[in-house]
Amino acid sequence: MSKQNLFSTQSSPTPILVVKNVTKKFPGVVALDRISFEVFPGTVHALLGENGAGKSTLVKILYGIYTPDEGEIYVNGEKVSITSPRDAIKYGIVMVSQSPILIDRLTIAENLILSLKKYKLFNSTRKAYDEIVKALEKVQLEIDPNTEVYRLTYTQKQLVEIARALLLGAKILILDEATTYLPEVEKKKLFSFFHQFADEGNSVIVITHKLTEALAISDYITVLRRGKTVATVERGKATIDLIRRYIFGEAEYSGRKLRGDEGEVGEDIVLSLKDLWVKGDLGDYRVKGVSLDIRKGEIIGIAGITGNGQLELFEAIMGLRKVDKGKIIINGVNTTNKPTRFIRKLGVGYIPDNPLRYGLSTEHTLAENIALSPVYDEFIIPWDRIYKDSEKLVKKYGIVTPGIHTPMKLLSGGNIMKTLVSRELEYASTLLIAYNPTRGLDEFTAYKVRRNIYEKSRSSGLTVFFASEDLDEVLELSDRVVVMNSGRFVGVFKREEVVRDKIEELMVM
Amino acid sequence: MVRFELVVVKRVKPLPRWVIPIIAFVIGTLIATTLLYFLTGGRSNPKILLDGIVNALMTPQLLLKNFALLTIVGVGLLISFKAAVWNIGGEGQFYFAIIAAAWVALFSGLGKIVFVNKFLMLILGLTAAGLWALLASLPRAFLGVDEVPVTLLMNYIAYYIVDYLVFGPWREQQYKYTRTPTLPTESWFINIPGTTLTFELLILTVVALVFAWFLLNYTRVGLMIRVMGSNPHVLRVVGINTYKVIMIALTISGMVVGIAGVSYLASEAHLITIPAETRTPALGYTGILVAWLSMLEIIYVPIAAYIVSILLTAGINIQIAGAGGFSVTNVFIGSILLIYSILVIFSEYKIKIIIKKR
Repeated sequence: MSKQNLFSTQSSPTPILVVKNVTKKFPGVVALDRISFEVFPGTVHALLGENGAGKSTLVKILYGIYTPDEGEIYVNGEKVSITSPRDAIKYGIVMVSQSPILIDRLTIAENLILSLKKYKLFNSTRKAYDEIVKALEKVQLEIDPNTEVYRLTYTQKQLVEIARALLLGAKILILDEATTYLPEVEKKKLFSFFHQFADEGNSVIVITHKLTEALAISDYITVLRRGKTVATVERGKATIDLIRRYIFGEAEYSGRKLRGDEGEVGEDIVLSLKDLWVKGDLGDYRVKGVSLDIRKGEIIGIAGITGNGQLELFEAIMGLRKVDKGKIIINGVNTTNKPTRFIRKLGVGYIPDNPLRYGLSTEHTLAENIALSPVYDEFIIPWDRIYKDSEKLVKKYGIVTPGIHTPMKLLSGGNIMKTLVSRELEYASTLLIAYNPTRGLDEFTAYKVRRNIYEKSRSSGLTVFFASEDLDEVLELSDRVVVMNSGRFVGVFKREEVVRDKIEELMVM
Repeated sequence: MVRFELVVVKRVKPLPRWVIPIIAFVIGTLIATTLLYFLTGGRSNPKILLDGIVNALMTPQLLLKNFALLTIVGVGLLISFKAAVWNIGGEGQFYFAIIAAAWVALFSGLGKIVFVNKFLMLILGLTAAGLWALLASLPRAFLGVDEVPVTLLMNYIAYYIVDYLVFGPWREQQYKYTRTPTLPTESWFINIPGTTLTFELLILTVVALVFAWFLLNYTRVGLMIRVMGSNPHVLRVVGINTYKVIMIALTISGMVVGIAGVSYLASEAHLITIPAETRTPALGYTGILVAWLSMLEIIYVPIAAYIVSILLTAGINIQIAGAGGFSVTNVFIGSILLIYSILVIFSEYKIKIIIKKR
């Protein structure tokens, strides 16, 4: 279907999906305020907006996880009410989220059959098996369907999720930041698949924070801001500056430079890893003899594909995972296998993987979560101070919340992340260990967080050791880049020596 | 074709929390009455049952003792429930407090010294109850053993220890009844005239409530207990020893329950009779109901305790009226808890009817 056709006023095709004046309120927040937009068959449609703009809420409504308070949804011109994912799937709407929902102990085929049997798509396993092979081929995942899921990489799991969506008969495929953490190569493959899928008359709705990506892959871009539709722009008419202005409103953002020339890295060694060996959950070595010295005020980023030992390394440094061999020394103190509390007391901040599980308690309020910081380790909680500090953090980090007494579960993913980052970055005085410090943050907020990290390292000599699946972030923020692959450091580059191609090569080697 | 569909939708604003126990009380009472009527083939007269409840409602001064004891036990259990540590061992902790307090009053030689005796009864009673609870927390903390069966079974150990003491060394020698001698009157809590309550119990109830409220809201330990209940992983990451939180939560919980044990002995029983298992008012178990009905909010504990103490008194009224044994009360309590559990869901969700055109 050609684009020309879409816009000729006489015979405009029926949109496959129409969202009309949809409103959704949560206690204290209007998440969506009369949102309207249309998706046409045969197109890739990007949803953009800053954190808390309402993107996730909107797609969750389309997938039946939330129900709208007001407004209408039409699929193929017919008014529908979607009250559960089952309804959504019936109408051909399938969502894939950032975190794969697969059962680790089962094989790919078993996982897929599980979700399909439920909908009685197949009667014979043989037939199901064939269908599964076909679906996996479509998403270009070349792997035996009898492989157990826990053996898969994150990328492969995401591809399995997409294959599942295809098997469920998706006509409208929704991806809520599902591509955020995929390596470049895989992303490119997936994007070509999107177009192929769209060319068959289907549609793809993508949520992403990467503007360049959105511009490259989508036929339409709809921008949300604070729960309202700002505009829908077609490809060709969209420029990165225009979209940025739509997303961030008047807040001028022009790809500011992250690093200045301020300050120098010190000489003292703050973190020293000596031939470190750490086992993973399955009992195999995930960190295999890594050694590194990090100096005061230095920022070191680990480039690597998820699951190459970054997580286990950080957990070992934080005292959350046993070190089997080797030594960790922080500021001259041997912290190998010491309790987390002891390590924390040395002024170590930690931004863990999976913030909802390891970073914050979503049942509790923002202020209560700030109060968890080791800074307030007193028998009687100094609430007055915590309330004041929380207000300050909300301002400093631009956390969008009705107030500091609002439970975290009512905040958007990005704002939850900001709360976590604010608590840990403010606490860290000697060392910050961070895993994906800007996960799920929009472009501008991610920039601000990186800037805060950078400033703190330069102004007060905070040493930063972080890992990110976003290679751009690693390259932008680090004084030195370490490439981690299969539990080993396979390359260390000074900032001025970095060659992107070389790093990418080492990552997948 | 038009089709109706019932869907469960999350409320924009949850229902105010106090509404639920009250609705549960009303509906649960009606269901229990109906159920009993039909199950007994009409022999259980609904009028007598309801009269029993109404009479209990009309005589609040007679409820006060149970109300106070249940409030204390409820608050005590709530502390551990907040940490998602399910202390079903209230009975055992209750009895350990009684053992220690009875020892002070009867055998320490200090039983007749005013002020010192009650003070020591409380100190030792709370310590014993706390230690008994701490013991139960160890397998949970270090071995990950579910604390529900552990605390539950430890109740029976406590019962049997009481039985042993009373049957053997503590048995009163005058008539050789299977009971301890009566506590010296100097150690009795002082009755508030016209009620079933004592001054000390009243004060202790307020202390327990204020203590729990302060602990949970204003101390770091309290915050850790609360976060433990919703996300223990976070505590580890922040650098908190979760074992310690479990142990502290259960120990404090046991100590607060112990207050009720001491008060029960000094306010009402004045001696221990056996077999403990059947002579117990089972406040350790009934307290679980109170804690649940309060939805783990301290300010609702007294409301829940009041509702339950109405039922306990109603049970006695019904018994006196000859309309059934004390087990009738259990039917009421069960129905109310069941309705309550269902209603809790609807505090956050509501049912909506959607018209679908095919």
